[in-house]
Amino acid sequence: MVRTVTPRVGEPRSVRRRLRQVDWILVGCTVALVVVGTLAVTSATSTPQQPLGLLRPRLAHVAVGATVLVAFAALPYRSLGEGWKVVYGVNLALLALTDLVGRTALGAQRWLAVGPVSVQPSELSKLALIVTLAWSLSRRSSPPSRWTELLPYLLHTAPLVLLVFLQPDLGSALSFVAILLGMLWAAGVPRGQLAGLVAAGLLASPLAWPLLKPYQRTRLLAFLDPNADPLGAGYNLIQSKIAIGSGGLWGKGLFAGTQNTLQFLPMQHTDFVFAVIGEELGFVGAVGVLLLFWLWLWRVLQVASSARDRFGSYLCVGVASMVAFHVLVNVGMSVGLAPPTGIPLPFVSYGGTALVAQLAGVGVVLSVAARRPKILF
Amino acid sequence: MEGKSASLASRLTSLGMSLTVALGALVVRLWQLQVIQGDYYAQLADTNRLRVHRVPAPRGLVVDRRGVPLVVNRPSFSVSILAMELREPARVLGEVARLLGLPEAEVWARWEAARKRPFEPVRVRRDVGIAVVTVLEERREELRGVVVEAEPVRVYPFGTTGAHVLGYLGEVSAEELEALRPKGYRAGDLVGKAGVERQYDAVLRGDEGEQVVEVDAAGRPLRVLREQAARPGNTLVLSLDWELQREAERQLQGLSGAVVAMDPRTGEVLAMASSPSFDPNAFSVGISPREWKLLSEDRRHPLLNRATAAAVEPGSVFKIVTGLAALQEGRTSSRSTFLCTGSLQLGRWVFRDLQAHGVVDFTAGVAQSCNVMFWLLGRSVGPDGLAAYARRLGFGQPTGVDLPQEAAGVIPDRQYKERTWREPWYPGDTLNMAIGQGFVLVTPLQVARAVSAVANGGTLVRPQVARAVLSPEGRVLRTFPPVVQGSLGLSPSTLAALRRGLEAVVERGTGQAARVEGLRVAGKTGSAETPRGRPHAWFAGYAPAEEPRIAVVVLVEHGYRGGLSAAPIAQAMLSRWWQGQHAAGGLGWSAR
Repeated sequence: MVRTVTPRVGEPRSVRRRLRQVDWILVGCTVALVVVGTLAVTSATSTPQQPLGLLRPRLAHVAVGATVLVAFAALPYRSLGEGWKVVYGVNLALLALTDLVGRTALGAQRWLAVGPVSVQPSELSKLALIVTLAWSLSRRSSPPSRWTELLPYLLHTAPLVLLVFLQPDLGSALSFVAILLGMLWAAGVPRGQLAGLVAAGLLASPLAWPLLKPYQRTRLLAFLDPNADPLGAGYNLIQSKIAIGSGGLWGKGLFAGTQNTLQFLPMQHTDFVFAVIGEELGFVGAVGVLLLFWLWLWRVLQVASSARDRFGSYLCVGVASMVAFHVLVNVGMSVGLAPPTGIPLPFVSYGGTALVAQLAGVGVVLSVAARRPKILF
Repeated sequence: MEGKSASLASRLTSLGMSLTVALGALVVRLWQLQVIQGDYYAQLADTNRLRVHRVPAPRGLVVDRRGVPLVVNRPSFSVSILAMELREPARVLGEVARLLGLPEAEVWARWEAARKRPFEPVRVRRDVGIAVVTVLEERREELRGVVVEAEPVRVYPFGTTGAHVLGYLGEVSAEELEALRPKGYRAGDLVGKAGVERQYDAVLRGDEGEQVVEVDAAGRPLRVLREQAARPGNTLVLSLDWELQREAERQLQGLSGAVVAMDPRTGEVLAMASSPSFDPNAFSVGISPREWKLLSEDRRHPLLNRATAAAVEPGSVFKIVTGLAALQEGRTSSRSTFLCTGSLQLGRWVFRDLQAHGVVDFTAGVAQSCNVMFWLLGRSVGPDGLAAYARRLGFGQPTGVDLPQEAAGVIPDRQYKERTWREPWYPGDTLNMAIGQGFVLVTPLQVARAVSAVANGGTLVRPQVARAVLSPEGRVLRTFPPVVQGSLGLSPSTLAALRRGLEAVVERGTGQAARVEGLRVAGKTGSAETPRGRPHAWFAGYAPAEEPRIAVVVLVEHGYRGGLSAAPIAQAMLSRWWQGQHAAGGLGWSAR
């Protein structure tokens, strides 16, 4: 019959045993996405003068990210939850610091300079939010179903949303909300309450309109009708669709996309990296990337449902919500289905902090996976 | 515990399903963009990266029969705007207006046009000075979207001389474009608007070349993918003899009128002048609305080609028609005599001549332009006969000359008068018609064709200004052989009698001012009463009388007397021609 074995946390194991517990499908998907991303970023930034483009810094990001991933996978995840106060405090402090003394680029104050390196704290906060929410939710004996029980979670998330919104980084602010909703759903908050929250958020969104920067407003309006100003606000959306559409079934070949290499695509190594993939690798490549994400999400949710404890489950759901939101909004924007809010494609887009944070998230999931009860036959 | 994890599992399942549906929707969207609309977007991507530069073809030259260049090209630069590359209209357009010295509103109007065709350069100004071009090229990066293109400009080195035959250029109009677009014409193109520039536009235009260039998003050209050179337009050789043309223009200086000289044997037009004239160079780089208003509203109508498009009363030159009709119908002969008392009684009306010529024979009657004799002849032939002979001589219909916009003139008959004036035809109308008054209207070119038919023995030939088309390399592509439009069907004696009369006109009659030393000249003067002022002066003749090789027609509007103001001009034309005949080589290629 079925016998469950529960290894004790923190028990030393041999390396061989640990490797056997690794979720290789999840690791494989992650590696594949990082590799595709590295190729796309290189193609997007390659110039005749510098054929390798941003390959070197990208590899550095990957190296740091891989190290962090292994570290988080090895770390017993419960220790993250036990230190939640520190995590939340440092997180708030970093975001506040960014708003105060952060480095400004592309019209937003999103980066903190640490020596020669720029760090984007909002990417780290997503992970921090996941940890603190998961810990809090897992400590409850029953799901927060009344409004008074939900309020603390809203108050917990709101400062982060506000600080990031002020940078301004609309996409990250929205991704906090997505993470919160995904985790509340997993925690068993009744449908009615969640629907109410979403409705309230939508009703309140016009209040945020006056707070948006003019460029954000024109970008959102351009989404409704890109052709109203094809050379101005609608330019990015139109060029992205042209790039993806012109890729056809099989694509123009890596490094051979004209929209990409002739610079018609804006931000082609960050926000619009999916358009590079669509153009150069075609429908086949683009759907391949989406399949990798689908497989990745499926594995993470598998880990969530088989985790040893609810804290582990919620961590996985949080990481899945974050990645899913990024993928849907980023790809949706590239194909003209979602408004441009400046969200990178996880594991694929160029951007060190985001990659490291996402790989750390994978590490956390692997840590949960490695410590779940084994089902032996 | 079991209940909890079951609820978590089901919630995770539904989360996974929603994500699957959302990702599936993205796949559907990708299918739509990449597979269904893939070709459409591929084309858009090519439009992005490929610039098709038009390489304008230099327009063909126009030369006279001896090869004197009459219309040529001069290299120049045009400035255009390419909307898809112009990112900061407010700054760039203001700068362009300042550099080109144009009002900003005009540049903005061009920008509006350019936005409708973002991938086509829209011209802002032609013939921009080299200093401005240099500045524009230097500041290329900051003035993205402003394009400088080499484009030849049309030059008419002789200015107003021959302007009506040569014509001028203008931007193709919307209506013209409808018809011409299939032939590759595009908005903003220059096309011939008058004269041979218009008539032979297809010959002169040439084939524009193109250059397909790959550019990056900044519009920087990276490499030429394909190139096809432009083919210059063909050379048009006119039958005009520029020496004669200039003489004609010189003679018309300060007058309103027209001069036509043509070879009666072939119909080749040797000179065609109309005065006052205009300078076609003003149109070459786009005429300003103010200049255009001045020209088109000038009451002296400088744009009108009086040789082909002005139908006026012929007066006594029409007596050629009356004389031919009467001779051919047997109403008179060279031996007939008439008594001219200076007037003719018709019922209760008396028609008065200028003087009493006494007893005249046919030859003397022609020489003196005796109205009484022609009244009698006209009455004997009758209005229908006069109209029939006039039409046989080509009056009342366009000559078919290879120039645009020709007037048909009017040859009246009973139906015409009833239709137009709602009055019956009176016998007095016949008398008026017999001497080229009343309702008769003719163009100088029609008179030249008719007098040529008399000179060449009775053949109506079509007047032609084009002589040959040469390839840019000089190979003959096409010649224009004489076109016979009909035979007058006149007996030799009829022609001989009339020609004797016409010779007498110059020898001892009203046209003595047209006499040229050593050259037998024949002709007829005319002083046409007109309701609009002093009579028009006419002279229509040919030379040498024994074997005519040139026909000359002169019209001086309000010139009073043909013998006084028109015949001397004909004399100048004929003596210039006669000098040319004796100079080495004669009239160039005219020796057939």
